[in-house]
Amino acid sequence: MAAAARVADDEGGQHPALAFLIRAWPWLFLIGLCVFFESWSRASYGVTFLGNTFNLQSIALFAAFPLLLGLGQTFVIIAGGIDLSVGFVMGLAAVVMARVMQYTTPVDPALALALGILAAIAIAMVPGWINGTLISRLRVPPFIGTLGMFGVARGAGFLIAGGTTVPVNNPWLFAMGNERLFGVPIPVAITLLVVVAMHWTLAQSKFGQYTYAIGGNRIAAVRSGINVRRHTLLLYMISAGCAGIAGMIYTARFSAGAAQAGEPILLDSIAAVVIGGASLFGGSGTILGTLIGALIIAVIQFGLVFINVEPFWQFVAVGIVIIVSVLIDQSKGRLTGERKDAE
Amino acid sequence: MHKIALALAGITALAAAGAASAQDKPTVALIPGLTTDAFYITMHKGAQAAADELGIELIYQGGPEFNPTVQVPVLQAVTARQPDVILIAPTDKQQLIAPLRQAHDAGVQIITVDTFIDDGKYQDGEGEGDFPLSYVASDNVQGGRMAGEALAKAVGGEGKVYVSNVKPGISTTDQREEGFKEAMQAFPGIEVLETQFNDDDANKAAAQLQAVFARNPDLVGVFGANLFSAIGAADGVKALGKSGEIRVVAFDTPTRIVDDIKSGLIDMAIAQHPYDIGYEGVKAAAAVIDGQQIEPSIGTGFTVMDASNIDQPEVRERIYSE
Repeated sequence: MAAAARVADDEGGQHPALAFLIRAWPWLFLIGLCVFFESWSRASYGVTFLGNTFNLQSIALFAAFPLLLGLGQTFVIIAGGIDLSVGFVMGLAAVVMARVMQYTTPVDPALALALGILAAIAIAMVPGWINGTLISRLRVPPFIGTLGMFGVARGAGFLIAGGTTVPVNNPWLFAMGNERLFGVPIPVAITLLVVVAMHWTLAQSKFGQYTYAIGGNRIAAVRSGINVRRHTLLLYMISAGCAGIAGMIYTARFSAGAAQAGEPILLDSIAAVVIGGASLFGGSGTILGTLIGALIIAVIQFGLVFINVEPFWQFVAVGIVIIVSVLIDQSKGRLTGERKDAE
Repeated sequence: MHKIALALAGITALAAAGAASAQDKPTVALIPGLTTDAFYITMHKGAQAAADELGIELIYQGGPEFNPTVQVPVLQAVTARQPDVILIAPTDKQQLIAPLRQAHDAGVQIITVDTFIDDGKYQDGEGEGDFPLSYVASDNVQGGRMAGEALAKAVGGEGKVYVSNVKPGISTTDQREEGFKEAMQAFPGIEVLETQFNDDDANKAAAQLQAVFARNPDLVGVFGANLFSAIGAADGVKALGKSGEIRVVAFDTPTRIVDDIKSGLIDMAIAQHPYDIGYEGVKAAAAVIDGQQIEPSIGTGFTVMDASNIDQPEVRERIYSE
């Protein structure tokens, strides 16, 4: 914990108040957004924005997909890489799960769900392993390697789906995607479990510390005896695994697999990681930051529809938030005296 | 701290001034398949016109891509506002069933426009997606029939033709092909060749036209079942130097179709009436709010455009405007 926290928030502290503001800004921003939408909806429509379970559930469901993709992405970005293939790996997993369940549901619906989940995770590992091998062993730049996999996973997904969506009629699957446990939608509950596991791995385990070390200074990490190749391979498999879980939830929510399921989510997921304070140069970022980042995006997009802002302004709003986050990230170093080491 | 408080007070005041009037009117929401398409933009205009006439508050919200992942969060946010009726163009006939059922269970009436869920036959007691009250759209079989008749007339009732289509399984384009083939049965001199599927890729549609022509030099016409199928086929005809000899009928009429018709690249185009779909959709919603029964299927018409009528104002207003 100590080491990870030290690397993650390495503020010098000449301006304690400022340093606190910079560190806490995603939280403050999220709170500010909620206050804004709450007062706007009360004043304009006389309804509450947050004090209503339906809205909270919808925002949480909305945040779940970019968050899941963003969790794995956080690891990869902290280590100085990027994974552009996650959107279509998610689609591939969704389609494979749906196909497997199509064949097995007539035999036994519950068993079919178990097999479908296994298939979704297992198939996601394949592009993850290939990405990791290309990048760690064959020295392919992450941007290029995962961009290639973006195309391969997309094509494979559409091939398996026959160019269309793959419907599944299975009550267990439907329940997993649409029922609630103590008021929490099951997809959200699953996502929260993954958040906890990822947070623990990154903040508490040796694996997490190595991830920061590799992103902070790769050569130093190699010299200090970290098996950087093996570690990098595992990072891309984690990322693909998260995408596989997202694909599984997609199939459950919509009772169908679609190859283009994750296409619009990729950029939101990277934005969530960046808004959460991770640096695209590597070495910093946290799971809680990514969680807040995903919630900020979800609240903005849900809120702007809720208060009926013209659709095109929504792009502008999310774009501005991303730019502001990166500006704050950039000024962090200047304001706190921290320097970014060039590779 | 002061600044924040001031800003909040300002926002609240602004909000109060902005929309205090919109309280008691019945509310209808229109969710298009995507926001960046002239077809849906035109539909929005028709819906707005009906809403203004009937004293209805219209919410228009949608996503930038034709994809359930994008559309469903918008649907949920709109549902949270508790409109009386949601008019929606579902982006998938299977995947939108569960999310729309949730909205329906939350007490919102559903009407689908342009596209449908399940089998598109609502309120007949069959299927998972039977709960929407109505499906307001062009009758695509009828549109295909009109395309077939127009093409048959243009080629003098003789020769070989084929359908350039997107891919199998899309409800609307399948129905257009069905109507086209039905119309062609009345013309024994015309032979309809195998349908070519282009995955909505104009380049592929062009290559297919040339391949079909290579095998069938007596090809006289092609029906493009959607925009890219038609544009691609027309490009193929142009590359062969057969403009005017191989006739091209297009389906759908965004602004560029005017130039294509004038330049002779496309001979005829079948325009749907998205303005009417929006208008009729809101009218149906108003009837539901008043407690009236509505038909489970409401059809809107078509206009056939060609070089002879493209400059007439009543035809021009059927072009999907941006």
